[in-house]
Order: sequence, then structure tokens, then C-alpha cells
Amino acid sequence: MKYALYTGCVSKGGCPELYPASLMVADRLGIELEELHDVGCTGAGVLPQGLSDPINARTFAKAEAMGMPIMTICSTCQGVMTQANHRLTEDPEYREEINRKYLADEGLEYKGTAEIKHLLWVLFEDIGAEKLQAMVQKPLAGLAVSPFYGCYLRRPPEVMTPPGFEKRATYLDDLIKLMGAEFIDIAGKGKCCGFPVLTANEENSLAMAAKHTGEAKEKGADVMVTPCPLCHLNLDGNQPNAEKQVGKEINLPILHLPQFVGLALGMTPSELGLGKHIVSTKVVNAKVEMLS
Amino acid sequence: MPEFDVLVIGGGASGLRAAIAAKEAGASVGLISKAHPLRTHTGLIQGGLNAPLDPDDSPESFAADTMQAGDGLCDSEAVKTFAGEAARDVLWLERAGTPFNRDAQGKLAFRAFGSNSRNRSVFADDRTGHMALQVLYEQLQRARVTAFEEWYVTSLVIEDGACTGALALGLRSGSLEAFSARAVILATGGLGRLYAPSTGSVGTTGDGQSLAYQAGAGLVDMEFVQFHPMIFPAGPGLLITEATLGEGAQLVDAKGAAVDTRGLPRHQLALATQSSNGDSAKIDLRPIGAANIMTRFPQTHELVKAMSGLDVTQEAIPVRPAAHRPMGGIETNASGETSIRGLFAAGECASNGVHGASRMAGNTLTEALVFGRRAGEAAASHARLESRKSVSQSRLGDEENRIQGITGENTSGDTPGKLHAELTALMDQQVGLVRDAAGLDAAIGKIRGLKDRYSRIKIGATTRVFNYGLTGYFEVGAMLTCAELIAVSARQRTETRGAHRRSDFPAKDDANWSAHTTARLVDGSPAVEKKPITAA
Amino acid sequence: MEVTFNAYRREPGEAEYRRGVYKLDLPEDATIMDGMLKIRDEEDPNFAFRGSCLRGYCGDCMMSINGKNTFACTAKVANFMNRPEIALRPIRMVPVIKDLVFDWDAFMWNKIKVLNPWIEPQESTDGVRTVPDKVMADLRNAMSCYYCGLCDEGCTVLPVDMKFLGPAALTKAYRLAADPRDKNPGEHLKMAQQAEGIWDCVHCYEASEHCPRNIGPTERIVQLRDMAFEKGITNERVARHHTSFAASVKASGWLDEARLAIESEGLTNISGLMKLLPIAARAAIKGKAPIPYLHHKRPGAKRITEIFEKGDERGK
Repeated sequence: MKYALYTGCVSKGGCPELYPASLMVADRLGIELEELHDVGCTGAGVLPQGLSDPINARTFAKAEAMGMPIMTICSTCQGVMTQANHRLTEDPEYREEINRKYLADEGLEYKGTAEIKHLLWVLFEDIGAEKLQAMVQKPLAGLAVSPFYGCYLRRPPEVMTPPGFEKRATYLDDLIKLMGAEFIDIAGKGKCCGFPVLTANEENSLAMAAKHTGEAKEKGADVMVTPCPLCHLNLDGNQPNAEKQVGKEINLPILHLPQFVGLALGMTPSELGLGKHIVSTKVVNAKVEMLS
Repeated sequence: MPEFDVLVIGGGASGLRAAIAAKEAGASVGLISKAHPLRTHTGLIQGGLNAPLDPDDSPESFAADTMQAGDGLCDSEAVKTFAGEAARDVLWLERAGTPFNRDAQGKLAFRAFGSNSRNRSVFADDRTGHMALQVLYEQLQRARVTAFEEWYVTSLVIEDGACTGALALGLRSGSLEAFSARAVILATGGLGRLYAPSTGSVGTTGDGQSLAYQAGAGLVDMEFVQFHPMIFPAGPGLLITEATLGEGAQLVDAKGAAVDTRGLPRHQLALATQSSNGDSAKIDLRPIGAANIMTRFPQTHELVKAMSGLDVTQEAIPVRPAAHRPMGGIETNASGETSIRGLFAAGECASNGVHGASRMAGNTLTEALVFGRRAGEAAASHARLESRKSVSQSRLGDEENRIQGITGENTSGDTPGKLHAELTALMDQQVGLVRDAAGLDAAIGKIRGLKDRYSRIKIGATTRVFNYGLTGYFEVGAMLTCAELIAVSARQRTETRGAHRRSDFPAKDDANWSAHTTARLVDGSPAVEKKPITAA
Repeated sequence: MEVTFNAYRREPGEAEYRRGVYKLDLPEDATIMDGMLKIRDEEDPNFAFRGSCLRGYCGDCMMSINGKNTFACTAKVANFMNRPEIALRPIRMVPVIKDLVFDWDAFMWNKIKVLNPWIEPQESTDGVRTVPDKVMADLRNAMSCYYCGLCDEGCTVLPVDMKFLGPAALTKAYRLAADPRDKNPGEHLKMAQQAEGIWDCVHCYEASEHCPRNIGPTERIVQLRDMAFEKGITNERVARHHTSFAASVKASGWLDEARLAIESEGLTNISGLMKLLPIAARAAIKGKAPIPYLHHKRPGAKRITEIFEKGDERGK
């Protein structure tokens, strides 16, 4: 199992703990990675498609040439790239136009065969639940965990969870159970974290962060896990501001997907960079310690 | 008390167009609609609208086709006006933002539709009405017409022989208000709900026809109710547009024989789709091709599936004729003027002689645009000359008392809904596609019986806020009025012509019946007279 | 077919609602609308609900049936017999006026009105402007919206901010902004960018998932944002954010998040920048704060710069 790793910006920027944790967990699971260095930002839904489609086509062409599927560790990167790839594969004329205008100068061509998978999908589709469960060294019994997917990993469904892949919509739920943790379902797990409107409407952005973290807390979750570092930025990084806005303490630690898996594989909170979070992960650390 | 130069009653295509035109002509305009305008029946128009826009088409050719469909009962002057102005009004709708389909060169595409002798209908997939309605409503807002959405008109106000306003119930506020106006335009639409199945939406209850009749106006050619040939019998009846025939769909009659539909006007097509020995006629859309169905008839595909689970790309579906649109209505000239001063009418509630005995597919929306605009302009001109008269408080008080009188504990054993169900059954059987004297006499008797029972009903209204029980009472009253007019007019016309088919008089009788019927309220019941056709 | 309807009933102005329970005998193929009309006709004329076209054309009768948001007129009773009583409720979030009649004005119509929802027609000409059908087909798709409100019902932003214009109104904005016949091009793109407009959308794609007509309201909003990106963003904060984002990716291939945060506030916006300080401080303590402008170019950044430049040329 060898993948071209697309790190995205945030795993090395705003959430620098995500990148090393991802590498460690991949290594433990036997996922070989070759990092894509010479590629650009997906556009993150900010850049217009006219710009982001060529940038993404270039990324796909490079991975295609390497003969490897792309692995992402960010729901937003995954979503934007899957949507771009959908347009580029559905419409060969459009793909040719982009090849001609943007990639040909560099001697690149995107043929339309790239496969792009989030780490969460790789866990279920390439490693498999059974094998994954067998690798668990420290079932996270007693740790109450809520999922938070990030919009882009599940929607639009016809692109993100097409026929044959409907189960992708609940992988995170399944994973929490598989790792032996207590699954705390929340209504907001597929909703928006608020990050995209942090600039345009901070009040709304924080209200969303407070709403979803608050819901998990009320239902008894110790921690929330997310496959999207942008959600992490808002749910964790802005949780103090969100608390201030709604006038109540939430104090819910947020784990990145590989950190959560890493804990079950027997890695320690400090190895996985839990100390770098804004909301203290003390509760998690304590519970995990008790398990050993 | 709201006062306007021009008050328009009805939020469908003709009402919206009339209001915009009156406003642009300088009048202050109010528009009352019992449903939100975007929910009115115009939105159900599918196939397209006609105009001689192709460079090698002509108003004369369009007029000739319209006259041909009208089976000898069109007023040629009205048709000439209609055909001559259609292009300008359809282009207005295009420039205002209607996304009509285009051909490969980006020019307006024309579709084969109904008995047009050439491709003459512009269209927006099979959602032409839905798109046109949105654009008309957009332009209504651009014109800053004051809209009273979800208000129900209970009466017109007639003072000294002139219409000076209307009384209306605000569904949201629950209050009765008097609207004063120098001119009133009725644009309340059709009367499909007299029949079941029909193509009509909930609001097509003949309100305007009934209001005008009660006010003393003449109603012409009420016997002519067009039956659409291709109604899929699901729910209240789902219309399959004739435009499908123009694009390759195959109609098969109840005996299994393919029907050559080319050039057939609707009233003849409707005969071909009657059931026979329990078997149904069928329409097969598959020859159009699945891809074309999805791009040119997406709504048909969606709604047949929603209502029945059937997939028109996979199988033929049963169809039958069902009541569609009236040709008759409030008697008007080409400016929308009725026989009452200050009262105008346009669109389906009106009859100006354009449609004759049978309307051609694609003419309805064009007619609403042309004569809606003309009525709006004429009403604005009229308003300039008319001195202001406000509706008196006593008139409002009388109406309040009338409504009080019908509310209370209902001990009649009847409800408006029950009478409505009985009415639709008898209309379909005895005043439907094929009629005869005995059936019509029986129907007239039954309708009068229903009217009698209706007069004893009371509505147990606890609040007037969104009391559709109360507005439904008025609607059933209007339907009973229209039903009687249709039946007595149909009884009178002893011939078969266009949409009016008498099994006891199966031939056209030009010697006696090259004439309209006009029904008027005389001493509490309708009196029907012959009226000559206006020739060129 | 014996069924029981359990309907939401509430008198105007009253805070409390009650449940109206009605036992009905309906034909096998009856719709929910048939049943409701029967209640109004035969049992209670005061039972209020809307409905117009009766066959799925118009969107007026949208409601929650056994928790599923759908149209009463196309919903077959037989498909909702999984519960002893069929629950009829107003949809999420809407203010109720009476029973199942809710306030469309507040929910949707008023939000469309603030967009100046009309195009300014060109002066009369004899001919018709040539427009590719592809452009018209796109408008037809957007205008197949029947204002049912299900996209707004599914919206993630509205539950935290009812002032947000919402995907239904913004889809209308798209239809207007994308119409090549408008005499004042650009006007509606500006209207769409007003406060509570397209920039407050989180593009979570809930709206598209909820749309029963596959119009893709989220995609329409994204298209409006892309149009604004090309033609000029009129919301100042967003403009700063997007300009900084694009400049960062253009220069280095990647996003300089710290620079983005600062430039989004505006370099001369002292109070805005001060607000960032606690966030930056918290991050610095945890050892996760990237240092603004010390953002190393990635290999191949030059190629990304070229894509931007070509994109610019194409736009001209």
C-alpha cells in the first residue's frame, strides 16, 4: 500500500501536530507514503474554480505519473480535490482544455485516472476494519467520543459518497466503535464547524463552533475527533472565543483523526502532539493513562 | 382604506401583466391575489407560448391557425389584434428575463405544438409557465406595484352602475377591507376545479366569472370548456403536454391503434383518448429518447414519477381527457372592457372572442400577456377620466354582516367540500366532454339542488386567520354559479362545435349557431341569449 | 384504508400548540393532501394548511410528515403507515402563523425582496439577442426552483442566524446575476454580497443535499463567489481575506495562514489586529503558531504563479 501524500497547508501550518502524527500512524499501519512536494494549495473553496481546477489537475497529473493514489489528511483538501477530479473526469473536453492551457508547458498531462483518498477512507477501504481492529493495542474503553466529519468529507453526496461508497458517510462513527471507545452521537456531526465564515461573520462562526462542541459536551463526550484540520482550527483554536460568546464553559478537547487512532495503537499523548492543542486534553491523557 | 387608480384581482400571468402595464401607464396600482403569485396556476403551463417570431412566419398565418382551431366562433377582429401584437408581448417577456430554449445558433427555438401549422411556440423545457410566472412577478416588483398576497375578494363594489372597488378578506390578518379604485381588472383565471379529474390547481374556481355575473356583467360562451386530451389519471390529474407529440411521442388509443395527431385540434384529440371497454389510451414518450426527455421534459418525468412511481423513459402511461381551460368567460372587448363601467377582465376568466369554440395549444399564455397588457393600459386610461369615489363604510358593514351571517354552527348536514364532490361528479358525467339534453336537464336540476343546500350551510369559523374553510365556502359558491351557467348555456346550444359536443346534435349548425351565447343574471337566475359574432 | 393523522394545531398568537387527531377512511392511493382536505371539508373548516397546485409543481404544501420534509400533495399515505399515527408538522425553524400555515414572508419571500429581484430589461429592439442555449439551460435549471424552502430548511447557518439570506434567496440572486440580458450587469452580484449574503455561506453543501430539484443551491452560491472573485469583491473584509489568500498561494504555492489572519483584518485595522493577539498568544504558548510572512516557497511555486498569471489573462 503506497500513497502519494498530499499534506495540505494546515497540517504544517496552523495544526503542526497533525503532520507528524499522520506519519507515525501511517508507518504503524504499514501505509507507505511518498510526499508530494511540488504541488499547490487546493484552493480550499476560496479560490475560484477557474484557478483551483488547474492547480489540482497539476497535482493529479503528478500523482498519476508516480502511479500512486493520493492520500489526504484533511476533509477540505479531500472535498475540493474530489469535486475538481469529478469535473475533470466527467468532462474530458474540459480536462483537455486545462491540460493544454496550463499543464502542457511543464510537459504534464492529466489523463483522468487519479484516485484521491482521505486517511479515513484508506483505513476502511484499503486496510479494512478487521485488520485495523486486530492492530488495536489499547482499546479506548471508557473514553466517550463524538465524531465531527467536516462538511467536505460527506457532501455533495453524489460526489463524496456515490453508489457503492455510501458507508463513507459513517466511517468515523464506525471507527470510534472499532477503537473500543464509547460512541456519543451528535446531531451536528455532519454540519459546518463555522470555520469558512470566520472572516465574513465571526459571530456566526463562533456560534456554530459553540453549538457542536456544546452538544457533544452535553451528551457526555470527553472528546471529539475530526478528520479535518480546518474544523480543528475552529473547534479547538477558537473554542475559548466561542465560550466567551455564548457565556458558558465547554472545555471539550478536539483530536485529529490520526491522533485518535494513534492512542488506540498504543502511542502516547505527548508523542502524538496532544500538548499542542488549545483546549487541554488532560481528560483524555488521564483516561488513556488509566488504560495502561 | 386602500385606494388605487387600478385594482387588479388575480396574481397569475394576466393579472401580473395587467398590473405592470397599468403602472407603467402612470396609474397607482394594487394587486390582490388569493394565493402567493408564484403559486398561481400559471406555473402549471408546460408546453410553450405562440408568437409569429420566426422571420418567415406571419401574424396572418398565426391568425388563420387560431381561427381554424376556434371552429367558426372566433371574432376575427380580436384574433387579428391578438396575432398582430403577440410577437411584441412575447419579446417583452424574453427581454425581461425568461430563459427560453435556444437553437444551435443561440436564436429562439420554436417547438411544434398543438394544431399550429408550423413550429411557432417558444418554450422553456416543459416549465414554460413556471419560468414566465417568475419573470412576471420579478417585473411586478420592479414596477413597485403594491401586492396584497393571500387576500380573498368576497365581492365587487358596484355603485351607480360602475365598479368602484372590491371587498377582500386578508387571510393573514383575518380582517375584511374595502379597496377603492377607479378601475378594477378581474384576472382570476379558470374554473378547472368544477371537474375531477381536471388540470386545475386549487384556486381555479371561477371566482372572477362569478363576481362579474353577480355584479350584472354578461358571460359569453360558457358552454365551451376545453378538455385536454392527455391527462395521466394520478392524483387530481396530471397533464402531459401536447408538445411531447410534436417531439416524437406516440399516442395510442384505447383500442391499441396509433393516432395520427398531426394538425388535430384539442377537441378532436380529446375524442381519441377516451377510454373504451375499460381500456385506456396511452402516451408513449420513449420515441423522444431518454436523454431528450430528461432535458426537454424534465418536469413531466419528475412529476409522473412522484405521483405514480412510473418512469416515462421506460414505459407508456395511460391518459384520458379531462377538463382543462374555458373558452368562455366574462364578456369583454379587445381592451378588456366588460359591460360594466370601470370593470375590466383579462386572461382565462374573460372571453374576448380570440379562442372561439376551442383554444389552440400555446395560445393561453400569449393571450394572457397581450390582453393582460391591453386591459392594464385601458384601465389606466379609464382611471384618468374617472373621478375618485371611495367605497362607503356602509358597504363594508353590509359585507361584514353577510359574512357574519354564514358563520356559526353548521346544522345543515352539508359542507362545501361535500357539495364540491357531488358537483365535480355530475359535471364530469353530464356536463363533460359529451353532452345531451336529458343529461343537461338533469344536471341543471341537480346544480340548483346543490345551490339550495349550499344556502343553508354555515361555517363554524373560530378565527378568520387563514380560514380556508371560509374562503373555500365562497369558492364553492362561485363554482356552483359557473356550473349552472355552463349547463344552461350548453343546453341552449343545440349543435356540436369545438369543445362543445352534443350527442343529440352531433353536427355543426352554422345556420343557427354561428353565434355566441351570453348569460346574464336576471331575477335571480341566468338568462341566455344569442349574440352575433363580430366579423372583420 | 383506515388511517390516523396527528396534526400540529396552533391558534394565531398562541404560544402553545396542540395535536389534532383525526381518524380517516381514505382510498389506497390517497395522498396526505387528500386526507388533509378531507379533514378540512368534513371535520374542521378551521384546520389551516396551504396547498395550491396539488401535483408537485409549486412547493406551497411543504411540511414535515413523520419527520420527513416533503410535499403533502405528492406524498402517498400508504408510504407513511410505518407509525400508528401519521405526524404532520411544520418544517424546522419556520415561524408558525396558524396550524401548518407558516410565515413564508419571514422565512423566504422577504429575503428575496432585498435582492431587488428583477432584471432591468434592455430597451425594446426588434430582434432577440443571440445567447447560447448552454447559458439559458443554466438559468432554466436555477429557475426550476419552486421556492419550497427545503434548502433553507437544511441550511447550517440559519439555525445560528435567521437573518442570513439563505440558499433559496441566493439561488435567486444567482439567476439574476447570471442573466446576460440585464441592462445593469454586476448589480445583482453586488446585491448578493450584502451583509448576510453569499459571504456568510459556509458552503457546507447541505442546501444542495436538501434540494429536491437538483439545482445545487450551494454550487450557485459558490458560482456567485467565483464571479465576485473575478469581477471584484465588494465586501471589504472578505476582499482582504481572498486577496491575501490568493496572493499567498500565487507567491508560494501554499497558504500563509498567519499572514492571512492579519491581512484579513486589514493592516491598518488596529482593533481587529489586537483581537488576533490572544489567539496568536495562545497558539504560541502551545508551540503551534506559524510565523507570518516567514513562509517558505514550496518547490514548483513558480508553476503555480504561472497558473495564476494565465488565469488572469484568460479573465481579460
